[in-house]
Amino acid sequence: MDEVGQKTRRRWARPWMVPLLLALATSGWMLAVEGRQGLARDESQYFRAGERYWGWFEALGDAVRAGKPGQAFSRNVVDSFWGDNHEHPPLMKTLYGLSWRLFHRCDCTGPKRGLHPIAVHKHRTLPLFARESTAFRFPAILLAGLGVALVYWFARRWIGPWAAAGAAVLSVAQPHYFFHAQISCFDVPIAVMAVLVALAYWKSLRAPRWGILCGVFYGLALATKHNAWLIPCFLLVHYLWMRRRDFLRLRPPRIPLAFVSMATLGPIVLFVLWPWLWHAPVPRVREWMQRHAQHEHYNFEYLGRNWNLPPAPEQTGRWLLRATFPFVSTAFTVPVTTLALAAAGTLVFARRRRKKASDDQLPIINCEPPEPGARASWARPGADVDLAPGIFLAVQILGPLGTLALPATPIFGGVKHFLAAMPFVAILAGVGLAWVTRLAAELVTAERLRQVLPAALAVLLCLPAVAETQRSHPDGTGHYNLLAGGFIGGASLGMNRQFWGYSVLPLLPWMKAHRPPSNRIYWHDVLHDAVLMYVRDGRLPLGIGDVGVGEPLVAQADLGIVILEKHFAVYDYLHWESYQTTQPAQVYAHEGVPFVVAYQRKAPPPRQEPLPP
Amino acid sequence: MRLSSFLDVNAFRRHRLAYACAAGIVLLALVETGNALLAPLRAPTDRDWRAAAAAVRAGYRPGDLIVAAPDWADPLLRLHLGDLIPIPVAGRLDAARFGRIWEISQRGARSPEAQGSPVSQTSRQGALTLRRYERPAAQVSFDFVAEWSRASVSRVAAGGQVNLCYRVSDRFECPDLPAQSLKPELLEIDTSPHFALATALAGHATTVVEFDRVPLGRELAVGAGLHNVWLRKAGKGTVSLRVLVQGRELGRMEAGSMTGWTVRKFDTSGLAGQSQNVRFEITVDDPNSRTLGFAAEARS
Repeated sequence: MDEVGQKTRRRWARPWMVPLLLALATSGWMLAVEGRQGLARDESQYFRAGERYWGWFEALGDAVRAGKPGQAFSRNVVDSFWGDNHEHPPLMKTLYGLSWRLFHRCDCTGPKRGLHPIAVHKHRTLPLFARESTAFRFPAILLAGLGVALVYWFARRWIGPWAAAGAAVLSVAQPHYFFHAQISCFDVPIAVMAVLVALAYWKSLRAPRWGILCGVFYGLALATKHNAWLIPCFLLVHYLWMRRRDFLRLRPPRIPLAFVSMATLGPIVLFVLWPWLWHAPVPRVREWMQRHAQHEHYNFEYLGRNWNLPPAPEQTGRWLLRATFPFVSTAFTVPVTTLALAAAGTLVFARRRRKKASDDQLPIINCEPPEPGARASWARPGADVDLAPGIFLAVQILGPLGTLALPATPIFGGVKHFLAAMPFVAILAGVGLAWVTRLAAELVTAERLRQVLPAALAVLLCLPAVAETQRSHPDGTGHYNLLAGGFIGGASLGMNRQFWGYSVLPLLPWMKAHRPPSNRIYWHDVLHDAVLMYVRDGRLPLGIGDVGVGEPLVAQADLGIVILEKHFAVYDYLHWESYQTTQPAQVYAHEGVPFVVAYQRKAPPPRQEPLPP
Repeated sequence: MRLSSFLDVNAFRRHRLAYACAAGIVLLALVETGNALLAPLRAPTDRDWRAAAAAVRAGYRPGDLIVAAPDWADPLLRLHLGDLIPIPVAGRLDAARFGRIWEISQRGARSPEAQGSPVSQTSRQGALTLRRYERPAAQVSFDFVAEWSRASVSRVAAGGQVNLCYRVSDRFECPDLPAQSLKPELLEIDTSPHFALATALAGHATTVVEFDRVPLGRELAVGAGLHNVWLRKAGKGTVSLRVLVQGRELGRMEAGSMTGWTVRKFDTSGLAGQSQNVRFEITVDDPNSRTLGFAAEARS
C-alpha cells in the first residue's frame, strides 16, 4: 500500500468518520423524501412561531443599528415575538426560524408577502431548498442525523463498529420515528436530546468534564420539550441501582456532579435560551409546567376504541387495557426483526450479570470494568463500580413507556410520546446483532467469510427495518409491522392511523383542480397555518379559500375534506347531511387504507331554516 | 465441498439453541423484508374496487344493503357505491330490515351485519371478495324516526306540570329546551352514523315522546346512545330511556359517555297486530353536554 493509501485508510479509521457518514446518510435520506410528507398541524404552528422568533432577532438588529439595543429587550417587544406558542420552549423553533431565514428561496416581497407572520423585506438567502417548509425542517433533519451518530457512539462503548452502525441505522429505520424525524416538531429532537444527556451522564460516571456538559445538554433538552423533566428521573434510577451497595453499607451515595450540573446549569441554559421567561421567570415557568401537568385528554384510537376519557375507577379492565398501550404499540410499530434483535440483546445483558466480565462468550467488547484501585467521588461516581449498562438501557426504555402507561398520565396516544425510548431499543438491538455476529463467526471457519460476516449480517438484519420505513413513507403514523399485518392489519386491529392532518398533501392537486367557484373550502384538521405554508410552498394557489375550523362551518363550504381519525367521524356525517350524499368525491388511501376523504357539493346549499315564530 | 470444511460443526453442536435463535432472527429478517416489498402489491387497488362496484351494480335491487369488511374500508366503498347508500341506510338502527346484503371484503374479513346469513353469491375481484347474503328480512310495521311528525312531545316537570312542545317544519321545540328540542337527524354515536331522533336535554323534567296507534309486530327494537364525541367527552350525565306500551313499561335503557350505540329488542309478540300507544320517557341526572339519539322500529 502506498503512502496515499495509508493516509486514506487512517482517515477512514478515525472515530468520527463512521458516525459522520451515518448522520449524513440519514439527513440525506430524509431530505430526499420529506417533500412527500405533508405539513403536520402542530408543525405549521411551529413554522409560524419560528418565523416570529426570527423576527425578534431582526428587531434586535434594527435596535442595535438605531443605537438603542435595549429596546429589543423590553417586555412588550420580547412578548410580541416570543409570546407565540409559549407553551413549548423555543430552542427548536428558533432553529427552524433561523434555518428558514438562511436557506429559503426568497420570493417574500411578491404576492406572498402577506402570508408571513412578520413583516418581511427583500433579503439575501442561501437558497438551498425549493420549498420554504424544507428550510424550516432542515434543523430537525440535521438533528435526526446527529441522533444516529450519537447512537453509534453510545453503542460503540459495548459493541463493534458494524453492530454499532447497525444500531444506528435501526434507531432511525422505524416508520413512526422516521415520520417524526423529518418534520419541524419536537418529538425526535427531544429523543436525540435524551440520548445526548444520557451519553454525557454515562461518561460523567468516570470523567468529570462530562458532568459539566451533562448540565449544559440538559439545558438544551429543557429548551426543546417538556419531556426533558423526566430525564433526570430515569438517570437517577440507574444511579441508585449502580450504587446500591452503598445503601447496604448504610452510606448513601453522594450526589454526583452530573445531577448538580443538571440542577444548576440546566435551568440557566433554559432561561438564557427562552426570552419569554426573561421578564417573569417564576410565574411563566409555573404556567409552562401547569400547562403540561394538567394536560387535557386527547382523542386516540387504540384497539378499536376511541380513548378520550380516563376509565372510571371501577373499570379495572379498561385501566389495564389503557396501560398496555405503549407496550402493544411498540410491539406493533417497531420492525419485528429489530424487536427480535433487541430481545436477543436483552438476553445478552441478562447473561452478563451471571458471567465474569472476562468471559469470551460475550459479544460485548467493552464492559467498562471498575478501574483498579479507583475511589468514587462526586465528580467520578462510577469509578469503583460496575456501570450496570443493562439496567441503564432498561430504564431508558421502560421509563418513557412506563410513564405513558401510568393511570395518572393524561391520554396522549401516539408513539411519538415515547420515541425517546427508541434509540435505546436500537442500541439493545445492536447488542443482539453483535451476538448473532459472534455466533456466526464462531461457526464459520473460512477466514474470508469471517471477515465479511459483520458487514453482511449488519446489512441483512437492518434491511427489513429500512424496507419497512421506505414502504411506510409518507404515512409512517399509519404503518404497523409484520406482527400487526402492515397498514391493513393495523387498521383492522383498530390502531391509530394518523393525526395532525398531514395526510392531505397527496390530495392537493385534486383540490386545486376542483376548487369550487365560491372558493369556500373546509380544510378540517389542516390548520390555516398549514394551508398558508402550502401556498408559500407553491403547492396551493394564492387566495385558496378556507372557511375555518369547527362543525358549523362544514355547511358553509362547497368542497370539504375529512381527515379519517376515529373521533373525527362526526365531520364525515356533517358533510353527508350538508352535501346530501354519503359519496366522497375523492379518497386518499395508502395500501388500500383510507386516510382522507374529500366531499364536493353538487346540489345547491340547503335552504335556510325559517326563523321561529 | 464438505460442510465441515468451512463450518465448525462442533461449535454448532455446543450451542444448538443459540444457533436456532440466531437462524430464526435471520429468517425473520428475510421474511420481513420480503413482506415489506410484496405486501403493497397485495393491497386492493382502485381497479379491484371498480370491478367489485360494477358487480354490485349489476345485481343491485333497491332496499339492498352494501357494506365493507372490515368497516374501515367504508370510505372506499362509498367512493365507488355511495350513490346506492342513502343517509338513512348508512345511519340504520341495525341491519335486520335488509334481506339482501352485499359485502365487499378483504383478507377474509366478515361484516357483523351479515353474521349468520347464508351466502348466495361469491366472486373474487382482485384482492377483494364480493359476497351477497340473502335472508328473511324483518318487516318493519312502524319506523319511529321516519314517522317522527306523528309524535306528540312534552316535558313533564318534577311536580307533574306538563309543558307541550310544538312542531315547527322539521323539528319539535319545547319552551324550556334549546331550539332543536327533538329532530330526526344524522348523529354521530360511538363514532358511527345513526339516523335517529336527536333529543336535547335540560333541567329536571322528563321528556316524553309519544306515538299513538302504532301497529306493533313481534318485537320493538330500540337503539340509543349519546351524540357527538366532544359532548360525550365534556359531559358526565347518564340518560335514561324508558319504553312503555299502552302505559306498561317494556324496559329501560341507559346511555352514558362510554355506552356507545345500544340496541335492545323488546318482545311485543303478545301485542302483534294491535295498534297501541308507545311512549318514550327520557330523563337525565346531569343534562350538561348531553344529546340523546334514539331510533325505534316495530317489527314483525
